[in-house]
Amino acid sequence: MRDLRAKLGLLVAFVILASLSPSSALPVVDTGQGPALASIGPLAFGPDGTLFAADNQGAAIFALDLGAQVNGGAPGAKALDALDEKLAALLGTGAREVSVTDLAVHPRTRNAYVSVMRGQGAGAAPALFRIDGAGQIANISLQTVKFQKVELPNAPVANTSARQNPRTQVVTDMAFADGRLWVAGLSNEEFASKLRAIPYPFATVDRGVSVEIYHGNHKAVETRSPVNAFVPYTLNNQQHLIAGYTCTPLVKFPITDLKAGEKVRGTTIAEFGAGNRVLDMIVYKKGGQEFLLTANNSRGVMKIPTAPFASAKPITTPVESETAGVPFEKVTSMMGVEQLDKLDDTTAIVISRSASGGINLQTVPLP
Amino acid sequence: MRPRLLRLAAVTASLVTAAACGRSVNPPSSPAITLTSPQSGRAYVEVTGLPSAALGALATASLSNEQWSALLRVAVDDNAPGMLGDYSVAGGALRFTPAFPFDPGRPYKVRFDPARLPGATGPAAPIVATVGQPARDATPSTVVTRIYPTADVVPENLLRMYIEFSEPMGRPSGVEHLKLLDESGQEIPGAFLPLDYEFWSPDHRRFTAFFDPGRVKGGILPNQQMGRALRAGRSVTLVIGHEWRDQYGRALKEDFRRVLRVGPAENRPLDTATWRVQPPAAGGRDGLVVTFPRPLDHALLMRALGVRRDDASVEGDVVIDQAESRWTFTPTQPWRAGTYQLLALDTLEDVAGNQIGRAFEVDNFDTVDKSPNPKSILIPFRVAPAGTD
Repeated sequence: MRDLRAKLGLLVAFVILASLSPSSALPVVDTGQGPALASIGPLAFGPDGTLFAADNQGAAIFALDLGAQVNGGAPGAKALDALDEKLAALLGTGAREVSVTDLAVHPRTRNAYVSVMRGQGAGAAPALFRIDGAGQIANISLQTVKFQKVELPNAPVANTSARQNPRTQVVTDMAFADGRLWVAGLSNEEFASKLRAIPYPFATVDRGVSVEIYHGNHKAVETRSPVNAFVPYTLNNQQHLIAGYTCTPLVKFPITDLKAGEKVRGTTIAEFGAGNRVLDMIVYKKGGQEFLLTANNSRGVMKIPTAPFASAKPITTPVESETAGVPFEKVTSMMGVEQLDKLDDTTAIVISRSASGGINLQTVPLP
Repeated sequence: MRPRLLRLAAVTASLVTAAACGRSVNPPSSPAITLTSPQSGRAYVEVTGLPSAALGALATASLSNEQWSALLRVAVDDNAPGMLGDYSVAGGALRFTPAFPFDPGRPYKVRFDPARLPGATGPAAPIVATVGQPARDATPSTVVTRIYPTADVVPENLLRMYIEFSEPMGRPSGVEHLKLLDESGQEIPGAFLPLDYEFWSPDHRRFTAFFDPGRVKGGILPNQQMGRALRAGRSVTLVIGHEWRDQYGRALKEDFRRVLRVGPAENRPLDTATWRVQPPAAGGRDGLVVTFPRPLDHALLMRALGVRRDDASVEGDVVIDQAESRWTFTPTQPWRAGTYQLLALDTLEDVAGNQIGRAFEVDNFDTVDKSPNPKSILIPFRVAPAGTD
């Protein structure tokens, strides 16, 4: 019998490239009331107040219609020290058990919304809170919230007996622009950063594209460097995404280019240094100029005038210096910033970590 | 800080340290605070001994959260706001069910104010109690059970490792607990990608640690400046610090150490023509054995290889062994004579990130794919009728 198997083994040299349709491939779109999020991570508001929430554990994006729960609060958002302790009290636990996963400002009420995970391990539970201009913290009950859900294309399982797929997706950032929700994410298995466009209302999700960039510090065209944070931005009347990659190129690419079947290459316009990643970024206007404000994990907060972005000389050759490209300045007055959003035309709202490890919600004049 | 360890003996229907007006024990007809932990479902706090008229009024009352909390507050300390939860009247008692389970070992402060009851006449002192559930055993017991790749020798451009634990771990990234030591015991700095994303499997038993690809990839600046963390011909020791916390906040039982010998970089794309496929015979459930010339990525092997016949998946179980260089598929149903296909998704990688037909070191321009599915490669094999020689 063994001999027979060995002979038959010689048949294998014939390889066919085929389009695959194995199990569980297509994204599932679901609608209803009372979304069941397994986890809650990055948040992004659409212009109509739809709140998009990424569920990394469930490999899904939810579009939440918060309904009447957006009303009733004092406009704006008030700074709160020891935010983690306050949230922990409401969640009936200790501050150590609370992770603030993102911050987003409602486009109309300017209330701050924070996504939170309570607890550790697989039993951790998601929660969503609203903080208003009087500093009142309100829990957003998901039971009454209407939702749309789209599942991110998890790499399908060729072997249907793999009953528990240990692959997860880590959504690093989301933004709504051009009628689509843009989602950047990584996997805990194959090392490849993907940027996806999801038309809203949800219908389909493309497989995603690895946007090609020239990484000056890495002296190479990178396809797998992770996109950590990005913002939509208009350059020369064309909608772009400005993206921060790990180690830390700043890249622009027109999103009209991101169409199925077309090759995409981003233009690297700055290098902000190795050993760093962008945690969050916003765009604001001050004194007639526009700026990009980035929070970084090891290089603090940076203020970058956007005027040079459109005509910035692309970095296409090796960068030997630590930084290069469009000019920036460090904002030393903002320390420990982990999450960032624009509260109004003159103020930023940030989640910051104090030296003792506690988490504060702060409002800061835009620099 | 770890929550204080409470050793509260009674779990079910426990009445704990209630005190009102200086009385240590309430008469049977007086309000009393209890914590109940049902066999199934969430533990809840009840106030018993209330007049039925008051309970009836509460059952139909439309109170705000603040009013409910003023009547019955369950909080993490005396000065904290009431925790989120639902109020109801059930089983002849006023019940508070928390929105999230009570933490084992954490004391909860309960304050019931009878003066806030519907129809209350005159002043009445609040009743307070501290309730809680027994703490979990705080003795560290979670250990690292396995590291992939399992081979003794790894290429110097190893891209990632999977760390498996005996119990679910906490949420934070564990990169800070990983160290790579050189042969003299000195730490090799910057070996791992400093991303604090939570690269956990859904059950939190497996963590993925990526090596910094800027150092792994040849010819780029971090690689030129710092070199690869792993150098061919040398040995390194992976140390996983016991400070890494499991889902209950307990440290690991002990540090984990494993010595890895480092071999040459692997820069070749995967070539399915080099795979050895040993088909089974029809009529039985012997395994289909596929052997690779070098180890492949364990996680991707688990889901990027499958068996198909007549455009349908064949159900079965997979075993991976021989240091991730052998994949054995045992079907649920006996093999039938005829042609099957081994299916490989193009996401399959070796331990250095090389894919089928595409090496990690090769730069290329991806396109946006219209299909959410990866491409696949089909490798036919024949299952001969039983008894064929």
